Amino acid sequence: MSGTETVSLKIDDRTVQAPEGTNVLKAAELAGISIPHFCYHPAFEAEGNCRMCLVEVEGLPKLDLACSTVVKEGMTVRTSTPRILQARKDVLEFLLAEHPLDCPICDKAGECKLQEYYDRYGLFAGRFVEAKEKRDKKVAIGKGLLLDRERCILCTRCVRFLRKVTGTDELGVFERGVRAEIGTYDGVPVDNNYSGNLVDICPVGAITAADFRFKTRAWFLKKGPTVCPRCGRGCAVVVESVSGYPLGEKQRRVFRIRARENPAVNGWWICDLGRAGRREIDENRQVRITRKSAPGEQVSWEAAIEEIAGRILGIPQAQRAARIAVVLNSLLTCEELALAEKVFAKGLGLPGVYFADPTPGEADGFLLTGERVPNARGVLEAGFSPRLPNLDALAASVEVLLVFGSHLLEHFSEEAISRALAGIPSKFLFSAYAGPLDRLAEVVFPIALPAEKSGTYINVDGLRQTFGRSVEPPLGVVSEREILGCLANGLGLNRGEPDAC
Amino acid sequence: MSYVPSTATMQKIEGMIALYPERSAALLPVLRAIQEESGCVSPEAEVWVAEKLGIRPIRVREVLSFYTMFRRKPAGKTTIQVCRNLSCTLDGAEDLIGFLREKLHAGPDGTTPDGRITLETVECLGNCDHAPCLQIDGVDHGPVTRDRAAALIEELEAHE
Amino acid sequence: MSEDAVRLIPADDSSWRLEAYLRRGGYEAARKAVTSMVPQDVVAEVRRAGIRGRGGAGFPAGLKWSFVPQGGTAPKYLCVNADEGEPGTFKDRAILVRNPHQLLEGMIIAAFGVGIGKAFIYVRGEYDRIAGRLEEAVAEAQSKGFLGRAVFGTEFGLDVVIHFGAGAYICGEETALLESVEGRRGQPRLKPPFPAVVGLFRSPTVINNVETLVNIPLIIGRGANWFLTRGLPKDGGTRIFGVSGAVRRPGLYELPMGTPLRTIIETNAGGPPEGVAIKAVVPGGLSAPVLRPDELDVPMDFDSLSKAGSMLGSAGVIVIGDRTPILDVLKVTARFYAHESCGQCTPCRLGTSWIHKIVSRMAEGRGRAADLDLIRDLADGMKGQTLCPMGDAAALPIHALVSKFRDELEQAVSQ
Repeated sequence: MSGTETVSLKIDDRTVQAPEGTNVLKAAELAGISIPHFCYHPAFEAEGNCRMCLVEVEGLPKLDLACSTVVKEGMTVRTSTPRILQARKDVLEFLLAEHPLDCPICDKAGECKLQEYYDRYGLFAGRFVEAKEKRDKKVAIGKGLLLDRERCILCTRCVRFLRKVTGTDELGVFERGVRAEIGTYDGVPVDNNYSGNLVDICPVGAITAADFRFKTRAWFLKKGPTVCPRCGRGCAVVVESVSGYPLGEKQRRVFRIRARENPAVNGWWICDLGRAGRREIDENRQVRITRKSAPGEQVSWEAAIEEIAGRILGIPQAQRAARIAVVLNSLLTCEELALAEKVFAKGLGLPGVYFADPTPGEADGFLLTGERVPNARGVLEAGFSPRLPNLDALAASVEVLLVFGSHLLEHFSEEAISRALAGIPSKFLFSAYAGPLDRLAEVVFPIALPAEKSGTYINVDGLRQTFGRSVEPPLGVVSEREILGCLANGLGLNRGEPDAC
Repeated sequence: MSYVPSTATMQKIEGMIALYPERSAALLPVLRAIQEESGCVSPEAEVWVAEKLGIRPIRVREVLSFYTMFRRKPAGKTTIQVCRNLSCTLDGAEDLIGFLREKLHAGPDGTTPDGRITLETVECLGNCDHAPCLQIDGVDHGPVTRDRAAALIEELEAHE
Repeated sequence: MSEDAVRLIPADDSSWRLEAYLRRGGYEAARKAVTSMVPQDVVAEVRRAGIRGRGGAGFPAGLKWSFVPQGGTAPKYLCVNADEGEPGTFKDRAILVRNPHQLLEGMIIAAFGVGIGKAFIYVRGEYDRIAGRLEEAVAEAQSKGFLGRAVFGTEFGLDVVIHFGAGAYICGEETALLESVEGRRGQPRLKPPFPAVVGLFRSPTVINNVETLVNIPLIIGRGANWFLTRGLPKDGGTRIFGVSGAVRRPGLYELPMGTPLRTIIETNAGGPPEGVAIKAVVPGGLSAPVLRPDELDVPMDFDSLSKAGSMLGSAGVIVIGDRTPILDVLKVTARFYAHESCGQCTPCRLGTSWIHKIVSRMAEGRGRAADLDLIRDLADGMKGQTLCPMGDAAALPIHALVSKFRDELEQAVSQ
């Protein structure tokens, strides 16, 4: 099918150009007209069961589905005639007849299509006075997902997702008529790395995540777009958090990570590993600078950076290469890596900078890559050859050690690290998380997470993606960019450049 | 305990599969063959069929639960299915159903206390000029008057 | 020319066998088509005859055949719709049992005309005990070289598979039938694409009703003109009318297209029993909107019934006597469609169920004045807006019942 030809048609008196083969729903979107729909999803072929997207095509006696009608040259479509508005009311009235009045307790409230369309196209009094079908309201279907069969409108997006996208087919439709219901097969729950997308594509609150259940309301969530840092794919995500009300004034919590559409990288989906990253943004965070020599004492940034600069500068230039070591990681942005190269390679003349990264895992054949870092390509572009340090070598000659991140523990035992570090006079740790290495360092600095910083990652296909801060870091926590900038200053490497501190 | 059809049914099934350009298309006739032998299609049989046809068990259950002639649990040894669509209703189907229910002492699921006969109501059987009609194990009877119904039940109960 | 030779359902029950069929000229039309005609001419003749589908929709068969793309090496299929689930309909049963060879002959001609090599006869599950003759007929035809490879010794071949349904009225809808043959739930497909282009196993497929196909040997054997003289100029042939309900002689009556309904009921079926007057008549299977006693002079052909706000459909005539409360008719109708809805699309799944609940409540004596308008509105909400024609099949008869018998239903509710 050649998509190169363009078709011209009229939608609600607007002339629209659309590629050959586009359906009317998509073509209308191009013209800024949104046609309501439940069962249609751009990832799948048209299904046509919800009947919500009916429109008038001039010359045809019946209303037609916008999702499955392909644009034709010279077609005239209307999307808001009285007949169509009545048809939408009809669909809504049918759906609401058997739909439970759960809005006050339903997690989907505020982002529910049924609510949205009722507000816009419904606004009628209910006429259903019969007994509604009673169904199971909390069916655990696997991976922390809950199915509420009373809310389900049988759009079958979930069934089709598992059939066409993951190919794992865990959901089906049983029985028929009004008794039709969605479910899994005995002992075969939903179990794939993309299950979280089911919550996102469910237009109502039928499939929800136990992880999000009853925790907050959609309208409190602040949405910050960013790029997922948990593997090399760099999926477009949105981090959804609440700062302050209705939490406590100084509290911040990340409630959800969801997919953002990016045709070039992840399409419409993200994997469950990416979603699980939400806990990491909140839990077990390092929030204060601590000094081993003065535990409990408040340490200022300036003082802390001064200490590092002092130790480094205390080593004669000629010996710095041998006596100073730095361990970075591949979660640093391109900008941070460039800075690191300037400070450590050029500035201090260190021949090698070590890298300690999360250990690779299995690629899942779809989005999740084997490498579990977001910027391995960025590391190479910055001129580094990433390798792990040799702990014994470090212990033998190094006097000043800077460790960014806590991934050394994934490669060496705590005991081995402890032993090696014992032989090094000055150790500075920069970590987002509290951990067993903290007690080994002279100074521990809290670090912002990727979601809390801005910068550029280069993904596994070489695509550069620049992102902004999606959520505020805890108070007083900064990113590697700020730290390296201040360190550069402190080492006198920023002569002529704006003060990074 | 896993399911295995008899040799005869197995042969039937192989024959059926060969008739369709795609294995999975043979699902309905295969389920019929299994139900003919076992009286129903058990979860174990579902799994067996799924493997035999190269589809997932969930697809088998989707089909089983859609069509009313398939059973997932055994019914009585004999099933009586009475039509209660329009022509039969016009000719006294409701009365016939009530009469049969009473005579058989059928429980809420339609089965007699001794489990031998299951009485069900169904939609149009395509035998409208012999209304009110019913099927006993798929064999048509009609018009079924009260007397005829009583006689049929007697016959059934006489046979062991 | 013996009238019996052209009857679609022979009077003699033993004449279903091959020898008897051959004696009455059986398989001559198929032989003529396959050995001396080109496929396009077969289709053209059937198009000239203008025979309209006898399953319910009434779509011209020849036109449907012509939608299948010509040529190509990809397989094409014929599906015979013997699902006969439309309440009040029992004609295809009789054809399967008393004239299976004429059905097979019609299938051979159709398959030859369209370029089809394999046919599935979709027989509703409830007919599996009476399908023995059909199965034997297939074997007989195969043994004589009328089916299988090299039909009549030519390059044309046709394999026939009998596929049983399992209790779903919706499988009478052509795309749901295809789904069922493919081993899935009988859920209708979106059209377009149409089965003629993308049908069974994604291949071009023709689906025809049993009665439609059983007419084909007569059209090819005796010509389109002959067929047209058997009925009306614009709607040729005969129909097999099935009459049931409040009549003295329920049964099947093969009559010319256009025979008035009153004639069928009173002359052929003997009229209502002693002391019973006609209250209403369903003319074309339960999905055909009901007619009042003053509407019974309508000619029974597709266009006349359409104009009268109903449909010829499956020609299942159900006569309702004046002793039957219309509420009972409404109850059966509402329950049937709710039970048979496949559940795929919103208006049918929820509309049929809602109407069924209202009517059940009315039947229990808890109806309200507003219920009749509500039922009518819900039927309107289903009309023309469902994924398949079953939405209309449910909405139109229900709408007609609450409109035409409003007074009686209002009375029933107020009691």
